[in-house]
Amino acid sequence: MITKKSLPRRTFLRGMGTAVALPFLDAMTPAFAATTRAKPPVRMAFVYVPNGIIMDGWNPDYEGTLGALPRILKPLEPYRQDITLFGNLTHNTGRALLDGAGDHGRCCASYLTGVQPRKTVIDIKAGVSFDQIVANQVGKQTRFPSLELGMEDARQAGDCDSGYSCAYTNNLAWKSETQPLPPVLDPRALFERLFGNGMALTPAARARENLYRRSILDFVTDDTRKLETGLGPTDRRKLDEYLSSIREIERQIERAEKDNAQIDPHMEKPYGIPADFAEHFKLMADMMTVAFQADLTRVITFLVTHEGTSRPYREIDIPDGHHPLTHHRNQPDLIEKVTQINSYHVRQFAAWIAKMRSIPEGDGTLLDNCMIVYGAGLSDGNRHLHEDLPTLIAGRGGSHFKSGRRIVYRKETPMCNLYLAMMDRMGVHVEHFGDSTGRLDTLDLT
Amino acid sequence: MRMNFWTIAMAVSLAGSLCAADAPPADFDSAVKPVLSKTCAMCHNEKLSSGGLNVKLLLSPDSIATYRDGWETILDKLRAGEMPPKGIPRPPEPQMQALIHYVEGEFEKADRNIKPDPGHVTARRLNRSEYSNTIHDLLDVDFRAERDFPTDDSGYGFDNIADVLTISPVLMERYLDAAETIASRAMGADPLPKKPLEVQYHAKDKSIRRVDLGVIEASHRVEWDGDYIIRFGMPGERAADAKPVTLAFWIDGALVKTMPVETKPSKLVYFDPYSEAEVRMYLPSGDHVFRAGFIDDDFVKTLSEKDAYNKKKNKFLDSITFVGPFPSDVERASRKKILICDPKSGQACVDRILTALAHRAYRRPATRAEVASLAKFVALARSRGETTEQGVQLAIEAMLVTPQFLFRIERDPNPTDALDVHRISDIELASRLSYFLWSSMPDSELQGLAEAGKLHDPAVLDAQVKRMMADRRAAAFAANFAGQWLEIRNLDVVKPDPDKFPEWGPELRDAMKTETRLFFEYVLRENRPLSDFIDAKYTFLNARLAKFYGIPNVTGPDFRRVELTTGQRGGLLSQASVLTVSSYPTRTSVVLRGKYVLNNILGSEIPPPPPDVPALDESAVGTLMSLRQQMEKHRADPMCASCHNKMDPLGFGLENYNAIGKWRTEDGKFPVDSSGTLPNGKSFKTPDEMRALLMTGLPQFSRCLTEKMLTYALGRGLHPYDRAAVNAINRDLAASGYRFQSLIFDIVHSAPFQMGRADAPAPARVAGAAGRVPAPRGAS
Repeated sequence: MITKKSLPRRTFLRGMGTAVALPFLDAMTPAFAATTRAKPPVRMAFVYVPNGIIMDGWNPDYEGTLGALPRILKPLEPYRQDITLFGNLTHNTGRALLDGAGDHGRCCASYLTGVQPRKTVIDIKAGVSFDQIVANQVGKQTRFPSLELGMEDARQAGDCDSGYSCAYTNNLAWKSETQPLPPVLDPRALFERLFGNGMALTPAARARENLYRRSILDFVTDDTRKLETGLGPTDRRKLDEYLSSIREIERQIERAEKDNAQIDPHMEKPYGIPADFAEHFKLMADMMTVAFQADLTRVITFLVTHEGTSRPYREIDIPDGHHPLTHHRNQPDLIEKVTQINSYHVRQFAAWIAKMRSIPEGDGTLLDNCMIVYGAGLSDGNRHLHEDLPTLIAGRGGSHFKSGRRIVYRKETPMCNLYLAMMDRMGVHVEHFGDSTGRLDTLDLT
Repeated sequence: MRMNFWTIAMAVSLAGSLCAADAPPADFDSAVKPVLSKTCAMCHNEKLSSGGLNVKLLLSPDSIATYRDGWETILDKLRAGEMPPKGIPRPPEPQMQALIHYVEGEFEKADRNIKPDPGHVTARRLNRSEYSNTIHDLLDVDFRAERDFPTDDSGYGFDNIADVLTISPVLMERYLDAAETIASRAMGADPLPKKPLEVQYHAKDKSIRRVDLGVIEASHRVEWDGDYIIRFGMPGERAADAKPVTLAFWIDGALVKTMPVETKPSKLVYFDPYSEAEVRMYLPSGDHVFRAGFIDDDFVKTLSEKDAYNKKKNKFLDSITFVGPFPSDVERASRKKILICDPKSGQACVDRILTALAHRAYRRPATRAEVASLAKFVALARSRGETTEQGVQLAIEAMLVTPQFLFRIERDPNPTDALDVHRISDIELASRLSYFLWSSMPDSELQGLAEAGKLHDPAVLDAQVKRMMADRRAAAFAANFAGQWLEIRNLDVVKPDPDKFPEWGPELRDAMKTETRLFFEYVLRENRPLSDFIDAKYTFLNARLAKFYGIPNVTGPDFRRVELTTGQRGGLLSQASVLTVSSYPTRTSVVLRGKYVLNNILGSEIPPPPPDVPALDESAVGTLMSLRQQMEKHRADPMCASCHNKMDPLGFGLENYNAIGKWRTEDGKFPVDSSGTLPNGKSFKTPDEMRALLMTGLPQFSRCLTEKMLTYALGRGLHPYDRAAVNAINRDLAASGYRFQSLIFDIVHSAPFQMGRADAPAPARVAGAAGRVPAPRGAS
C-alpha cells in the first residue's frame, strides 16, 4: 500500500504511551504481581485436527524417551524434549453405542465434553466441556476466561453428519450442555477481540467507554428480566443464555478496568482471513502466543478444521477433499496424500511450538508453563476408530511435568483420565469427568 | 384460515368420487387387505419381517389409527413406487391407487377429528442476514454481520431455526461493538478529516492480488463513511483494432459498477501507455474487498500469462486508488430519519425521537416506561457534558442490544396451558411475515395494518403478501431460502480443482449463483408452476455462463432470459450451481448428486453409509474402469444396495455434467452413460428423460418443498402434529396447478403460521400420530 499523503489513520497502538511493550510478564500482570517472585501461571490449549490421522506415520515403534520421530511428527523432532506422546487413550463416548452412524459428529462433540452427544439436528445436547470447567475457575483471573478459535467457516447449508447437528462439528468448547461456544475464525476479529480495534484510547476515553457500556449492560439486564415474566421454559432458556453472556462481558470490563493498560501485540492488525492455510495458522498462533504471554487467558481451544471437512490442500498440491481421501481403502497413493495433510498440519503446529519455546518466562520458557494438546477425535479416519487417539502434549504444565517421553497406557484408557490430570495441574480439582476412571498417572518428574 | 376443513373434505370426497369410476369400491377388505396379504406379506411377515415390518399387525381397518407411523411409511413407499420391489409381482395399478386413496382418506378422517396443534415457536434471535437487513431498514446503515459475527448454527438445513440460534459471549461482544459502530454511523457522528486522503494499491508493491487473468483485488479499510473517488490504473495497450472492454467493479463480491474502457492505442501516449478510469461513490466504513476486472474479455484469454502483463501486447489493470472521504448525502438521509425534530429543543422532542425509534426497533409500539428508560441515556450523556445528540446515539446503541431488538419473542396469553391454541397477534403476524419474505423487519405499511388490527383479515393479508413478494426486499427470500434449500451458499466454500477445471473462477462462480437466483425469483414473481424447477425450458444467462453451457448468441455481462432448445439443460438440476455444490473438488459423485436430488427435490432422507465403507477408487475412474462400472461393483453388495439403488440412478442421470456443471460426453476415456432405472422400475437414458420422469413425481416434490419452506417460515423443525397442515397445503397446491405463489399464500394461511400455543410438553392428543415430516431425531 502506498500512501501518497500522510495518512493520519487514527494512530496505531505501537509506540503509544499507554501501550505496554511485550514481553512484560514480569513487569505487569496484576494476577500474580502480588508476590514479588510469582510463579508463572499454567495455561492449557487444545489444537484439534479432524478426520483422524494415518497412525503408521504417528506412533513410534518404541516407548519411553523420544528419539527419532515418525514421519508425521518429524517437524516436532527438534522439540521432542518438550513433548509427551500418549498411547491408547480412547474416547468411548465417540463410539456409536447404539446411536448408529455419525462418528465425525460424535467424536468432535464428545472430545472435550466426555459425553455422548444427543443424536439430533435440533435440540442439541452434549456436556460442559472440561476446558470450560477450568475456565470457570481460573478464568476469573484473566481478561478472557477462555478463547475459542478455528480456521474453517461452518458449512453454510446442508446437513453435517448423519443426523448430528452442525453445532457438534462446528464447535469444540461447550459452555453448558446446550450451548456450544463458536470459534472465532477471522484473524482480524480475533485481533480486535484481544487488543481492541487497533486504536489507542486515552484513559479518559476508555473510562467513558466503560461507563457507557456498563450503563447499557444494566439497561438490557433490566429489560430482559421484565421480558422473562410470562415466558415458557425454552424461551426463558434463550434469555438466560443472553443474560449469561451479558454477565461475561461485565466481568471482562471489570478485569480490563483493573489492569488499566492496553497491550501492544507487536503485529499489524490482520485483514480478514488469508487464503493460504499456513499464513492463517500463523496469524492465529501469533495471537495465541500473545494471549498466553500477556496472560489475557489461560485456556484456548483451537478447532483447526471441521470433522468431515472436504477442504482440499492445494498449498501442498493436494486437490482432493480431506474427508473423501481419508476413506482410502488402504490404497497407498491415497494414504500418502492423507499423510501429507497430517504432516502439513503438524508442521504448522511445530512452528508455533518453536515460537512458544523461544519466549523466556520465569526460569524457563513460555512453553514450559503450558500444556498444549495436539490431537484428533479419531485415530483411523478410514474406519472411524475411537481408540488409541493420536494425542500429544507440548510443554510441561509448570515445572514438574516430565516430557520427552512416549507413554503407552493400558488399552481403552479413557481420554478423560488425561483431562483430570490436566485439571489438577490447572489447579482445578475434580474427582470425576465424563467417563473417567481415574487420573492419568506417571506424568510427573518423579 | 383460508383453507378450512370443509373445503378439504369436499376436495377429498370429490377426488374419491372421481376415482370410484375406475377403481374398486373403497373399503379396507377390498382395497387394502388383498394387496397386503398377497403381495406385502411375502417378505413382511412374522418370520422375515423385512425392514422391521410385519403386515399381520396391519390387517384390520383400525390398524391405520393404531399404527399410524407404520402406515405413513408404507404410504410413502407406495407413493414413490419403491414397493413392491423389482422381482415381486405388482398388483394392477388401479388396485394400488385404490389402496393409496383409501389410506389417505382414512388419515384425513382421523386428522379432521384432531384439534389442530400449531406448535410453539421459541424466542428467535435474529440471524446474521436478518440482523444486517433489519439494521438497513431501521437506520439506513449498511452493516455486514456476515463478516463480523460468528456463523449461525443451522438446523434442518436452515440457519433461522430458533432452537439452535444461541448467544455466546463472543457474539455478545460483537453485538455491543456493532451497536456502537452502527449508532455512530447512523448519526453521522464520525467527523470526516478536513482534507481527503489518497491510498493506492499497486501491483509493483504487491499490495493488490491478481485473482484471475485481468482481475485484481485489494483489501482496504474504509475509515470513514463517505464518498470516495476510486481510480483504476491501466497500463499498456492492445492492437489498433482492439475492441473496448467492460471494466467491472465489485465490492465484497457484489458487482456495483461497469463501464466501457478503450484498449486500443491512444493518440496521446507514445511510450509507456497508461490510462485511468474512475468512479465516485459512497463507501461504507469497514474492511472491504475491492475487485476490478475486465469481463467478457475474450482477447486476454488468447494471451499467455506473460503476455497478459506485457504493456506492448495488452492493456491490463494494475492499481486501485482511493481518494476521499468527501461529504456524502447518504449519511444525511439516515440522520434525518432519526432526528424527526431538533433534539436541542427539549425533552419533548427527545421523547418523540426515542418513541419513534423504539417503535421500529422493537417492531411494536414502545411503552412510556421503555421510552423513559431510554431517555436516561440522554441524561447520562448530558451529565457528562456531552450533547443531546450524543445521548440519542447512546440510546440507539442500547436499543440495538436489548433482547427486544435482537429476539423475536411471541407471547402466549396462557403461558402454562399448551392446550390453549390461539391466533397470534397481528403484530406478531407482521413480523412472522416480514422475516419470512424479507428476512427483515416489517415496513410501516405492514406494521400499520397490524397495529390497526386489520392484518389477519384474509383479503388484507393476501394483498400484503402479494405486495411483499413484488418488493425488492423479497430478494432476501431467494438468497436465504433458495440459497439454503439448494445449498447454493456452499458455492463460496467449494474449491474445485483448478488443474482439472481451469474455467472455474470468481466470475464463473458468481454467474452460476446469479443464474439460480434469477431463475428462482422469476418462478416466484411470475407465479410459475413448481414443475419449472424440475424442467423449465428457459433459464437466465450472461455471455460468460452461456459460453460455458455452449449456448450461442448471448453477449455481454447482463443476464437475460434464454430459451433452452436442446435437451442438455432444463430446470434446477441442470444448473451449474447445483451441479457444482453436489460434486467433489476433483470429480463428480453420483452418490452426492443422488442424495442431493433425494433430499432436496424428492424429500427422501437417506441414512449415512456405515463406517469402513469401501470408498471409490479415485485414480481408477476414467482410466481403469468407468465410474459406472465402479459403482455397479459397489452396488453388488446387498448392504449397500438398498440405498444406492435409490441414489445412484439419479446421480447417473446427471453424469453428462462434470463437477462444475459443464456438459460432457466422455469421462476420462470412457463415454458417459447417463442411463438409469429408478426403484419403481421406470428407466431413462438421458438427463432430459430423467427430468421427464421426475415430473411424474411432482406431488412428492411439492411435498418436499412445502416441508422445507414451512420449516423456514416458522423457524422450527416440523413435528408430527404439523402433518395436517402440510397435507392441507399440498392439497390446495395441487388444486392450484402447483403454482409457486400458492405455496407461499398457503403457508401464510396455515395454522402453524397464524396460530400458536404455550411452550409446554406436547399435548397427549397427538400421541401416536407420527408424520412423514422429518422426525425431530435425525434418523440414520
